[in-house]
Amino acid sequence: MSDTAMELIDVKKVIGNKDIIKGLTFNIHKGEVFGFIGPNGAGKTTTIRMMVGLMGLSGGDVRILGNSIKSDFKDAIREVGAIVENPEMYPFMTGKQNLTHYARMMPKVTKERIQEVVKLVGLEKAINEKAGKYSLGMRQRLGIAQAILHQPSVLILDEPTNGLDPAGIREIRQYIRKLAEEENVAVIISSHLLSEIELMCDRIGLIKNGEMVAIQDVNAATEQTTVVEVQLEVTPIQEAVNILTEDFGIKASGRDTLLIQAERDRIPDIIETFVKQNIRIYQVTVTTSTLEDKFFDLIGENTIE
Amino acid sequence: MSNFFQLLMNEQFKLYIRKSTWIMYILMAVLIVGVAFLSNFGVENTPTYQAAHDDDWRQTLQDDNASMQKKMEQDEMMQGAYTGQIEKNNYYLDNDIQPAPYDTWQFVMENKFLLSLVSLLTIIVAAGIVANEFKWGTIKLLLIRPITRTKILASKYVSVLLFALFTLLFVLIFSWIIGAIFFGINGMDPHIVVNQSDGYAYVSVIGQIVQGYGLQLVTLVMMATFAFMISAIFRQSSLAIGIAIFLMLSGNAIVGFFSDYNWAKYILFANTNMNQYINGSPMFDGMSLGFSITVLAVYYVIFLTVSWVFFTKRDVAGH
Repeated sequence: MSDTAMELIDVKKVIGNKDIIKGLTFNIHKGEVFGFIGPNGAGKTTTIRMMVGLMGLSGGDVRILGNSIKSDFKDAIREVGAIVENPEMYPFMTGKQNLTHYARMMPKVTKERIQEVVKLVGLEKAINEKAGKYSLGMRQRLGIAQAILHQPSVLILDEPTNGLDPAGIREIRQYIRKLAEEENVAVIISSHLLSEIELMCDRIGLIKNGEMVAIQDVNAATEQTTVVEVQLEVTPIQEAVNILTEDFGIKASGRDTLLIQAERDRIPDIIETFVKQNIRIYQVTVTTSTLEDKFFDLIGENTIE
Repeated sequence: MSNFFQLLMNEQFKLYIRKSTWIMYILMAVLIVGVAFLSNFGVENTPTYQAAHDDDWRQTLQDDNASMQKKMEQDEMMQGAYTGQIEKNNYYLDNDIQPAPYDTWQFVMENKFLLSLVSLLTIIVAAGIVANEFKWGTIKLLLIRPITRTKILASKYVSVLLFALFTLLFVLIFSWIIGAIFFGINGMDPHIVVNQSDGYAYVSVIGQIVQGYGLQLVTLVMMATFAFMISAIFRQSSLAIGIAIFLMLSGNAIVGFFSDYNWAKYILFANTNMNQYINGSPMFDGMSLGFSITVLAVYYVIFLTVSWVFFTKRDVAGH
């Protein structure tokens, strides 16, 4: 299995007599972006802490490029770059000093490499300011910078989009895709918001109460034809409702815009019929993705905090 | 080994880049100048000072003895108060040695009380060096490097000792410079008369400095290591500072409280004061220098082992 970057084998964590993680087994491949999704308290951060050796494993093993985090800590962790929870930096040191500090702890990180990474995350202007003055978004960038300094094979980012504005999120997304595709890095991203990371992931694993509920290929999921929720802005509205019930047997709700549940395949037919019947269409929006629906079903909406 | 040096550099960098560290040094500098200023007023009026600058120093010392004798006879309260000083003067007279003038060497020697301040600062640093990483959250980024936790802990502990060493050197050198400005330098190896277990002796001031500072280092290292341990266990610096300083200040009282019991000699603080062997009066029967060194070594090993176990074995969990 040469293309496996990280392997989790029946990873368990027991704290007190509570089973926090109940046996996780999955692989992350090189060059893949793996989304790690779950509601707060599902065990995402605990799992990540075990992946990087901050927490001991109660059972099972984590292997990074074949090296066990338990017995070969140094060899395993050498290939990992990570942000665990918030990207916390020494507030009294400048961004550059923070990076130099971590660079000293790892083999072969040159000054040029630090320069390169700073440029990569777009922190050139602020790098000589104290990290305590950074905004959350800037700290997030600095966090990513320290995680990729030593060019790891596995990059673990805990909630990387936290505190970033939409432009920042898009930038990070592009950068992560680039790392995965060009440098063959395996990236693990955790989040409790599917919508934020759905676009950058190849696969998504859903964790709930310490168990992996589902692992889903993102591309395959969107191709599947299932029922989606569609929002229609049309006029006259009453005529549209009539057409929907009579021709398609679909119940519509809403006053200004219509909300319907329909199979994905039927949407073009509905639009075609509307056009023929002289109903003016302003907007057709699929409001929920199939993936999100699927996950909500699995988690049960009420359990999300 | 080279990456241990890198770790030390990191720790020292993190320590000395912070303002709070510099405030500690400024505080000590101000204190040393203040002490020199106060001593400057008092010192010229002492008979010893006058004797040192007087050709007729024997007469000055005899006059001083006579006046002290008289004071003791007149006032019941002052009974025996000057015996020590009279004996010291007599030693000078008997051996025909002119007292050395007060100078920067003696100033440095007297400043050994500042070592308790150095201990205090070292405790603060030792208490924070592990706990602060947890407070800042940076521990998570520190421990995910290809370096064992043992090595990281060791670098932090050595850093504390280095801080103590640098601060000690600062007190010595700065005191010497300030003393030289205020009191001048009287040769490179002045001697004075001091009271030792076997009576008065004419000794080198530099020897006294080494001994005086050296003995206090025992308490410093023990309490810093203790604070380091508390900090590694509870991951909270204020608690570590509080407990360590409380124990440092109340150590003698604790020993006194349990002095009726024989096991009190195993209490750390019964053994930290090495002066008891120089004065020849150990606190408890059956105590010897070897005994104290053994007890201290056992405590030291316990402190470090407990720190190590807690730091390397425990999970780094959320707050």
